[in-house]
Amino acid sequence: MSTQLRGLPAAPGVATGVPWIYRPPAPDEAARLSITDAADAAAAELERLAGRLRVDGRPDEAEILDAQALMAIDEELLAAAREREVGGLAPAAAVVAAGEAVATTFEALEDPILSARAVDVRDVAGRIARHVTGAPPPQLERRSIVVAADLAPSVTVELDRALLAGIALERGSRTSHAAILARALGIPAVVCVPRIVDASAAVGELAIDGDSGLAVLDPDDVDRDRLAHAAAAASSRRAADEAFRGRPLATSDGHRVQCMANVGDPAEAVVAFAAGADGIGLFRTEFAFAGRATGPAEEEQAEAYARVLRAAGDAPVVIRLADIGGDKPLPYVAIPEEANPFLGIRAIRLADTHPELFATQLRAILRASLQAGRAASIMAPMVADAADVAAVRRLVDEARSAVPDAPSPRLGIMVEIPSAVLLADQLGATVDFMSIGTNDLTQYLLASDRTNPRLAERQDPLHPAVLRAVARVVEGAAAHGCEVAVCGEMAGDPAGAALLVGMGVEELSMDPTAFGGVKRALADRSRTELEELARRARELGSAAEVRELVAIR
Amino acid sequence: MAEAEVEVRNPSGLHARPAATFVRAAAALPIDVRVTNLSRDPDKSVSARSVLGVMGLGVARGHRIRLGADGPEGEAAVATLAELVASGLGEDVGGV
Repeated sequence: MSTQLRGLPAAPGVATGVPWIYRPPAPDEAARLSITDAADAAAAELERLAGRLRVDGRPDEAEILDAQALMAIDEELLAAAREREVGGLAPAAAVVAAGEAVATTFEALEDPILSARAVDVRDVAGRIARHVTGAPPPQLERRSIVVAADLAPSVTVELDRALLAGIALERGSRTSHAAILARALGIPAVVCVPRIVDASAAVGELAIDGDSGLAVLDPDDVDRDRLAHAAAAASSRRAADEAFRGRPLATSDGHRVQCMANVGDPAEAVVAFAAGADGIGLFRTEFAFAGRATGPAEEEQAEAYARVLRAAGDAPVVIRLADIGGDKPLPYVAIPEEANPFLGIRAIRLADTHPELFATQLRAILRASLQAGRAASIMAPMVADAADVAAVRRLVDEARSAVPDAPSPRLGIMVEIPSAVLLADQLGATVDFMSIGTNDLTQYLLASDRTNPRLAERQDPLHPAVLRAVARVVEGAAAHGCEVAVCGEMAGDPAGAALLVGMGVEELSMDPTAFGGVKRALADRSRTELEELARRARELGSAAEVRELVAIR
Repeated sequence: MAEAEVEVRNPSGLHARPAATFVRAAAALPIDVRVTNLSRDPDKSVSARSVLGVMGLGVARGHRIRLGADGPEGEAAVATLAELVASGLGEDVGGV
């Protein structure tokens, strides 16, 4: 009997093999080399592996290994290790402990790129320890799926590529180096698979689908067939999507929909326009606030926003006010501990206690607009009712009196709290646009915590309740000429996009990688067909039934 | 004591690659330069020769760092590293 675990897709393709659980070797008492000599050997080994990556045409990953070679001979790491050795630890254990201490401090860094380097630090320490004891490097013996909590790129490189069928990680992310390298080398990979390390220990075979994120333990013939079909379908889908990437987003009868991008920093905005975005539908500004001791200065923010406006030319740009909350505390925003941060003091609810945070951000947006000679649209997250809109408008008005020459901004709200759905006909009279955040709306509407993987099945935004909510917002807004956009993941899902356009949504904002698939999904259906499809979908009983009805992948 | 302050403009701050470039340059200098991330923890300084120390400062784009060194060669050493950081450590940091 097979078991399925659902993670996230990281590198496309299907792979089957014996699970090979990678754990850094446990340091033993043996000491064939001194810590210093072992460190030199580890550094030389890492440089050699970096060279192998350069030959493979992967200079970016090679540089990670070069940096690791420097870590291996880092005097502070080695001094800490020797200190522990003097304290009575065996030399290999001393190196591992010293590396662990550094890795832990890395993990505490707010910057996700740097904190993700903890895996490289642990790899370096484990490597030095291995050279201390003289143990051989890890080796695959059969065609294997490498299973680990997380994986340093150096391990992927040193394993025998002919036997390395796939990678399944309990942690990691699509943007981790393990995932990037797997994609580059054409090795299927899944990440964030719950319990995969423990679950793999007792199985003889493991199959992964790097397009869907699925891991199947002890797959049977039915699983195998299904995976093979899925792999073939995914590969032809990717090729077909690619052909649509540069075309406009429109239905078969020429009804044009704005194809907007969700971006998280100015550099991503540049990438989005290169990918053919009609504008920026959601510019998340949290990047400016994370990873620092004090709040970002007005000039610093203004410069970042102006860069996005310049990248956009005349295209629309929607800047969302900071969505900060108790789930990711910042040193300069004191939020008392909350039992439910997602239902707590979050986003504009912070304006009561930290008005200066938003006042500064609003002035920065206006200054950027003034600099760029064009207005940015301003969007407030977590608006519950008209009182919230009024509070935001007061803040905007105050900022405008501080920057009187700035062009007048359009003001909009995120619709993600169910109360805003029910009040859409009221709120539509008070703002220029609404953008539905389907991820949070689904979480709140279905009372299903987004961060709880066991509720993953209950997070599908194609649920009829979410569809009805969207229809209600469109209807409520239409009476006032208020525009409606969708910026949740649903907009980037071809099936979701088809339903949204069928319900009258005129702007879809998504990750630029989704452009091709969404454009292709809309191109062979008329607006009338989509309207009928959405009408029928709203009458169904579950998200699964809606997916079956729409049947676009 | 020679000191210089410089803003890090690399898109992802001092992550692995630029940190390695920085540390290699520091290792080639005759004296040790201390680095502080003023935007994050002004009280903590690390050796510019320690890649783990430099990465552990959590320097993100837009952060200001201080470089400091003692002795007669301090001024030149600090200037060398400050210029290297300002130039983007081999990464494209674009115009303003």
